[in-house]
Amino acid sequence: MSGTLPIPVIQVLQVATIAVAAPGISGVIARVEARLQGRRGPRVLQPYYDLAKLLRKEALAPEGASWVFLAAPVGAAACYLTVPLLIPVLTSFGLPLGYMGDILGGGLILSLASFLVAIAASETGSPYAQLGASRAKTFSAITEPVVLFVIFVVALITGTDLPYALAATVRSSASQIVRPAHLLAAAALFMVILAETGRIPVETHTGTNEFGMIEEARPFEHSGPYFALLKWGSSMKQLILYTILLNVFVAPWGLAATAQAPAVGLAIVALIGKAIALGIVVAVIDNSFAKLRLFKITEFVSAAFLLAVLGVFTLYLGGG
Amino acid sequence: MSAAAAAVAAPSVYSGGASVIALGVLLAEFGMFRQALIRDQVRLYAVQSALISVLAILVAAVRHLPDLYVLAALSAALKVVIVPIVLRRLLRGIGRAGKDGPAPGWTEIAGSGSLSLANTVLLAIAVAAFGFFSARALGIHSAVLPLTALEISVSVVLVAFVLMIMRRDVASQAIGFLSLENGISLAALVIAAGLPLILEVAFLFDLLVAVVVFELLIRVHRGRAESLSTADLTSLRG
Repeated sequence: MSGTLPIPVIQVLQVATIAVAAPGISGVIARVEARLQGRRGPRVLQPYYDLAKLLRKEALAPEGASWVFLAAPVGAAACYLTVPLLIPVLTSFGLPLGYMGDILGGGLILSLASFLVAIAASETGSPYAQLGASRAKTFSAITEPVVLFVIFVVALITGTDLPYALAATVRSSASQIVRPAHLLAAAALFMVILAETGRIPVETHTGTNEFGMIEEARPFEHSGPYFALLKWGSSMKQLILYTILLNVFVAPWGLAATAQAPAVGLAIVALIGKAIALGIVVAVIDNSFAKLRLFKITEFVSAAFLLAVLGVFTLYLGGG
Repeated sequence: MSAAAAAVAAPSVYSGGASVIALGVLLAEFGMFRQALIRDQVRLYAVQSALISVLAILVAAVRHLPDLYVLAALSAALKVVIVPIVLRRLLRGIGRAGKDGPAPGWTEIAGSGSLSLANTVLLAIAVAAFGFFSARALGIHSAVLPLTALEISVSVVLVAFVLMIMRRDVASQAIGFLSLENGISLAALVIAAGLPLILEVAFLFDLLVAVVVFELLIRVHRGRAESLSTADLTSLRG
């Protein structure tokens, strides 16, 4: 019995894995991206050093900003720490708290976090932060319907909208993987993830050109520990979205089927490995496409919408 | 598993795979709306035709119809290689001929005219949905037919119609027509895979006739109107 972990420990481990591994995944992506461009690139651990440095620094707030400005990063980070409780991060069986919200619940908490950051950005009075916030909200208004349609696909396939149920369905047979609805939903979700994590067809991730910025511009006025929380939050958001794509849609293998310690440890390694693989794919995309003009982003998102709608069609009308 | 049982049952791997390829064909059709250059549209047509050949190979392998391998090879040779080359040479010749002015037709596609791109795509989605519904309403049930692929092929045909109606230049209307033929071969592969080879080949060579007719049409139109756009023809109305 010594090898069996208590369920609450696994529950905490889910959150801890996301929180601790997230900056590292960002570091790996930055490194791979640099190598692909022929640069040496930053250390993989650089994001951790950045966070440690920022946490030691002094925090300043713009004149006239209210308590919301300082509370928002904490609230957003809390949201990002809540979502891993709802999705299959390490286990293939549902943990007790996993059933407190479905995919819609998880999506709601993620958008609450981005809403908080947007409010804080508009508190500042800085033009760039406000521009970033308003753009992020504009485009998320277009990505939300895509996510909804992806959820419809999940609901039609499994009869529920619990992420655990879809992962189990995908694992059950090969015919579930090649069915067109599943592939379309996964592709649409991947495009949404590219948009939401600020990757290349939508936004240059590392650029300093404010006019093209969307997500990156929002924390311009934050500093010190609050800025660290925002950066950490955005890398956690990235890993959460990757986990949803990987462990629910694309590759729900390697999850722990029991509460045995070795199985859970293997699941942690598998998750990080899969996330790095996905990160490499994202880095390759980053290097092979040009950034879209701001007004062309709607076309990118409408392509994702097309995929998701076709997914629902094939499923609802054709049983695909 | 009880949750999975309550849901829509998954199709078999064969039928799922066939549907995925059919979806690829449909997506290529949608992709043609976005292309701003005729050259890219021709390339997309080649990709679409290659997908049809892949589907033919899949059907041949699963249903043990060796004839279809021959058909796949012929179809690939004709639609992936010969037709795109002919179209490209034709359009290049036209681009060079218009040396006095800006080379007409080779680079630009005469805009969709009445509707913006996003609206056109929305319209096409609605039309595709109609295709799904109408094929569904036929009430065909079969254990061996990949039904989703059949419905998708109806959508491909309808969306190709939208493409031909919305485009205002002869060249991309021609490509729209050829891709419509792709939709029909998709349906043929799904429904009547066991058709005698000689018939299938005859249909395939009908396509060559269509290409010749379109080539003639493009040349004549260009000779009269000095452009590929059909917008000039509207002035003939009384």
